[in-house]
Amino acid sequence: MNAQSLERGFSLERMALLVRNRLLEEAPVLGIGAAAVLGVNLVGLALTGQAPFNHMGNWRMNGQATQASAWTWTIVAAGLLMAGMALKGIHGKTGTDWILLPATPLEKYAAALLDCAFIFPVGAAVAGSLMSALLALVERVAGGGGGAIWLAWGIDALETWGKYAIAAAVFLAGSATFKKSALLKTFALALAYCTAISLLLALGASSFGERNARAGFMYGFFRSSGMSLSPRASDAVKVGLDIVTYAIFPAFAVLFGAAKVAEKEGRDEVQ
Amino acid sequence: MIDIDSLSFGYGKKLLFDRLGLHLGGGRTYGLLGLNGAGKTSLLKLMAGALSPLSGEIEVFGRVPARREAAALADTAFVPEDPALPAMKASAYLSRYAVFRPAFDRLRFDELRRDFALEEDKSLAKLSYGQRKKFALAAALASGARVILLDEPTNGLDIPSKMQLRKALVESSSEERIIVVSTHQVRDLENLIDPILILDSGALAFELGAEDIASRLRSVRAPSLEGLAVVHAERDALGWSALVAAGEGAAPDAGSDLRSADLELIFNAALAEPERLAAAMKGEALAPFSPRESAATGREARS
Repeated sequence: MNAQSLERGFSLERMALLVRNRLLEEAPVLGIGAAAVLGVNLVGLALTGQAPFNHMGNWRMNGQATQASAWTWTIVAAGLLMAGMALKGIHGKTGTDWILLPATPLEKYAAALLDCAFIFPVGAAVAGSLMSALLALVERVAGGGGGAIWLAWGIDALETWGKYAIAAAVFLAGSATFKKSALLKTFALALAYCTAISLLLALGASSFGERNARAGFMYGFFRSSGMSLSPRASDAVKVGLDIVTYAIFPAFAVLFGAAKVAEKEGRDEVQ
Repeated sequence: MIDIDSLSFGYGKKLLFDRLGLHLGGGRTYGLLGLNGAGKTSLLKLMAGALSPLSGEIEVFGRVPARREAAALADTAFVPEDPALPAMKASAYLSRYAVFRPAFDRLRFDELRRDFALEEDKSLAKLSYGQRKKFALAAALASGARVILLDEPTNGLDIPSKMQLRKALVESSSEERIIVVSTHQVRDLENLIDPILILDSGALAFELGAEDIASRLRSVRAPSLEGLAVVHAERDALGWSALVAAGEGAAPDAGSDLRSADLELIFNAALAEPERLAAAMKGEALAPFSPRESAATGREARS
């Protein structure tokens, strides 16, 4: 980096350096996590003749596991855990160092978002797919069926990882907002949001004469069949929820997170 | 240069600074003195950009630090009283974070690391308080920043390290660099800081240059204060430690021990006897000193 690049309001070079630093800091923990997943599968293979992750929760489609597998949920859980702690550096004793590192608050937030919402899931998905294939091969060599090889780029991958990215942005905002127990508080808020949306939908549907309307708990964030609506109302709800879920909600989470980082930097630092 | 104009800042409802004004020029090492809670650390953080003012303006070499532009952040190095360092070796730390400061001088850092006798192969998080402090000081002094802000830099340093720090600060001074040192240990840096800034009750109570101090004030140890032009005095088991106006009546008694003005006495005088200190600095005649009123130190007098 040279002196001229310091004058830029937003520098991709600085953001890349911030991402690099994040990856270097996360690498040991992620390495341990990957080793633990491999270990669990190898132990399962040794004890039962099956690698558990290639057999748990897999819905086979054309010989391939779908997204709703142990692999997917492990990566999603790890990613959200990571996002929920990604901005903890703002709070506490390390706050001053975080703030005074010569990069703008937006660059610092964008680096965290890129890392948690894109780089981690892509990297973890590739590693997971390779591990799944390797375990299936070992299982077959050992005389077993091999289970389903998990492919992260399966038919419903885009939707799954899109939803994951939105959730990561939410947890990132939670990490910037809450000093303590950020993960739990963010999770509680997300549940409260889903409950509120579901109740609103149920109430709205009832008021329009939908006799079978009932609240689907996760309707606010994930599609479900929790409500019984007429085709017309169902379509309207679907479009509305898609707009909220894929446009308004992520935009709000990202803007709120970025604003919170900038605000925290300014106000939360105490002597 | 650093310009502070009508700065107000506080935590919650309590205002720490109320329309504070200050101008700091290049080529000097400022000593920032004040009681606990006077706002020394907060003022350093405001200058660094770690805190935002409630109102008023701060400009550091023409930039507003609270905007946190990368150029402004790279031009300022702040060393907190208790630096929190990550669990990694010094070399990893530098390769990850020094890259954000294009003016960082690695050779200078290595020189300072050797002078401070810093351990190389240990995780920074596992270093002792003094070692962490020395690492942070070395990184700040090698940062190439024009503004160096040090919060209690001598706390936790052993005697040789304090000497090395004084040497490093002298070597790091330049015409365009501003060094601000907040400290309670004024004697550690007595011959280095010029001028001293004394904060009291949310305002700059005094800005005293070394030349003015040398020409206007003396410290004296004497069995009695009789005949002395006392600005402030503190009694101890051996007699009186007094800050006196230089010139006639500085030390008429043969039994007294006259020295250059002690910064701790000046600080206590600034808090306990601000009018007398101001008069002495202007070279005005002082009214007779009443020991009973001022026997306590500044801290005691104010509490």
